[in-house]
Amino acid sequence: MSLISCRNVCLSYENNIVVDNLSFNVEAGDYLCIVGENGSGKSTLVKAALGLKETTSGHLHFGEGLKKGEIGYLPQQTTAQKDFPASVFEVVISGCSADKKGIFYSKSHKKLAYENMKKLDIISLEKKCFRELSGGQQQRVLLARALCATKKLILLDEPVTGLDPVVTNELYSIISAINKELGITIVMVSHDLHSAIDNASHILHLNKNAHFFGTVEKYLLSDIYKSFSGGAAND
Amino acid sequence: MIDSIGLIFSQQFLTRALFVGVMISLCCALLGVSLVLKRFSMIGDGLSHVGFGAMAIGCAANVAPLYFSLPIVLVSAFLLLRMNEKGKIKGDAAIALISTAALAVGVMVTSVTTGMNVDIYNYMFGSILTMSNDDVVITAIISVVIIALFAIFYDEIFAVTFDESFAQATGTKTSFYNMLIAGLTAVTIVIGMRMMGALLISSLIIFPTVTSMRLCKSFRSVVITSSFVSVICFVVGLILSVEYETPTGASVVCVNIYALALFATVAAVKKRFIKSCLVKISVVTVVIAFALLPFCLSALNQAELIEGKDVSVVTTGFAEYDFAKEIVGDKAEVTMLLSPGEESHTYEPTPADIVKIQQCDVFIYGGGESDKWADKIIETSKENLIVVKMMDVTDVCTIDHAHEQEEEREGDEHIHEEYDEHVWTSPVKAVDIVGAICDAICGADKENADYYREKAEAYIIRLRALDNKFSQLSKTYPNKYIVIGDRFPLRYLMLEYGIEYFAAFPGCSAQVEVNPTTIAELNNMIKQDGVGYVFKVDLSKGDVAESISEATGAQVDTLYSCHVVSAEDMKNGEGYISLMNRNYEAIKRALQY
Repeated sequence: MSLISCRNVCLSYENNIVVDNLSFNVEAGDYLCIVGENGSGKSTLVKAALGLKETTSGHLHFGEGLKKGEIGYLPQQTTAQKDFPASVFEVVISGCSADKKGIFYSKSHKKLAYENMKKLDIISLEKKCFRELSGGQQQRVLLARALCATKKLILLDEPVTGLDPVVTNELYSIISAINKELGITIVMVSHDLHSAIDNASHILHLNKNAHFFGTVEKYLLSDIYKSFSGGAAND
Repeated sequence: MIDSIGLIFSQQFLTRALFVGVMISLCCALLGVSLVLKRFSMIGDGLSHVGFGAMAIGCAANVAPLYFSLPIVLVSAFLLLRMNEKGKIKGDAAIALISTAALAVGVMVTSVTTGMNVDIYNYMFGSILTMSNDDVVITAIISVVIIALFAIFYDEIFAVTFDESFAQATGTKTSFYNMLIAGLTAVTIVIGMRMMGALLISSLIIFPTVTSMRLCKSFRSVVITSSFVSVICFVVGLILSVEYETPTGASVVCVNIYALALFATVAAVKKRFIKSCLVKISVVTVVIAFALLPFCLSALNQAELIEGKDVSVVTTGFAEYDFAKEIVGDKAEVTMLLSPGEESHTYEPTPADIVKIQQCDVFIYGGGESDKWADKIIETSKENLIVVKMMDVTDVCTIDHAHEQEEEREGDEHIHEEYDEHVWTSPVKAVDIVGAICDAICGADKENADYYREKAEAYIIRLRALDNKFSQLSKTYPNKYIVIGDRFPLRYLMLEYGIEYFAAFPGCSAQVEVNPTTIAELNNMIKQDGVGYVFKVDLSKGDVAESISEATGAQVDTLYSCHVVSAEDMKNGEGYISLMNRNYEAIKRALQY
């Protein structure tokens, strides 16, 4: 049984169909990159996967005991967060808020938060103000928060937007490490086709006419890749 | 300063205001953190306007405004939230729409029913007097609920505030928490707006958070700091308002502005020299500056309380002040609450005024619409306080009575009959009033009773002479009339001597806007009969009279209501009789056409 199985899903936004008849599966341990042009429905699909949006038709099903609330999510940053006064620890532990039973976070929540901060090497930033961090540091903090929220699957929406190349590569290797070492399934929306091909195990290419879903190897041979990447695909 | 603090704890209404204010400030600060950070600040502002509209309707319908406006504001809060989330009209526009619409409805309802009276004015700018015992209980319960809910859901509120889509994606019921915050905000605003004023209450929500965000780096510290800032600013604002007799709401907001400036300065300084010891120094500076502010200001303090003479008399307006002055001579202290030049119909006593009333021996007031506040204070005053209500010691007539241009319109629309409070404008009634005041003062100071009676009799003789003069007017100039292009406080004078008049407004306070038809009719009349003067009332802007003068060529002249007196006349020692003599001369001139 797949972690996410999507069959003949149709998504629309204010009565305009943006994603039509889409089918794909995400298995445990996969690293799926969702690529496609602007307006091809990538973000809408992410919202649907998170349960923030209803599907118009078709089935979007979570398997292997993955419940709706158990997805870690790294959203595109909103302007509100740019001046938000919050310490790194407060942000990281807020990943546990849905899991909270009593009034306060339990000891195990705190332990989890510290573990994840260690994994992402941000333990030294614990008391720092989130808004004063660099872009790369902020993304690590948000990744740590996502790790607090899930043990199975992390969804990332354009995580490298606005980061410089060095930090971008760093972040990609962190994401790969999370995938390989922690065995967490990654679903990432990306603009960056090359790093998607380098890092991912599967590609979902959204397109107005035909979608592609398959392993990276198959994707490299597909027509859609060739037409999308143009001349660059020949090297 | 110390006096003011003592006053706050010794006067029940001030203690109540302090308690309610502190609780409201605390709740506002807590909710404000979330609202400001979620970019929902304007919801607070919008809701307070809705609150005003609802209170105005509640007032008109004679329903307890609190219970009437609470559900309306709650519903609007949820409505605003929904519009923000999925509406076709986007957030800021939706809020602006709802808040201006509510304000307009409130003003419309007010103008066709009660008029712009003290209650409405209070809802706009707040009044410290409006807190009853019930309010204290309600506030206590609701504040405890709000604070408890905030504490219980603190982590969830953080998660929803920081990143709503993440919280929702990970299974937090974000719409529930949004509704919770909006609902609690609605309740807080309805309770707080009567003290702070509808136009100012949202500052309590926004200021403390913005202030503490200058310096604080974590959510927790913003919550804690803004709670402290909010409560401290309220208490300091209240003390200042007692000390300097300023409106409470505006004082609190001003202290908040000061705090914001202070925090912003410290933040700017800190940015240049990032050293941890400086942080401590700056925190200490903030605390000291807060503490010093009232003391620095109190050096300039001029407020004084009554002391010295054995018998003290307090009056609201000028006429009764002058009567009392004439009677007591130098044997007693007479204090007037309305400062020279102050607007009488929206006057609200300051805390110091209230204390003056509660501590005096004789209190004299009109008793009309604009003096509604007085009854509440008299209830809580000392038992042997002698009260003279001028409208009770002589015959009164309603404003709808007699001949105005407004007659037909007024007749069927007025819901409650409003009595004209300017009884003293008739010298004949003034004689009755002087008699009553004399009795009251003699009752308070029996030793000097003979002296007072003698002075009163002498004064009454002068009033009779005035009366005589006026009685000649209608005999000398029969079938003539005067035109008043202003609010009209002199009805009793006109009725007493049978002088015909036409006024742009029926009374003094009822109407906010002038009726253009009335003005057109007045203009025609003046042109037809060749009337030479159009009157404005002392201390009014006189714009209606000016416009009539422009249209007709009639000269603008002034009539004196003796309700309030200009600072200049006060300085020159003018009294009721000298002002009424001016009226006599002016009316005489005007009747000659």
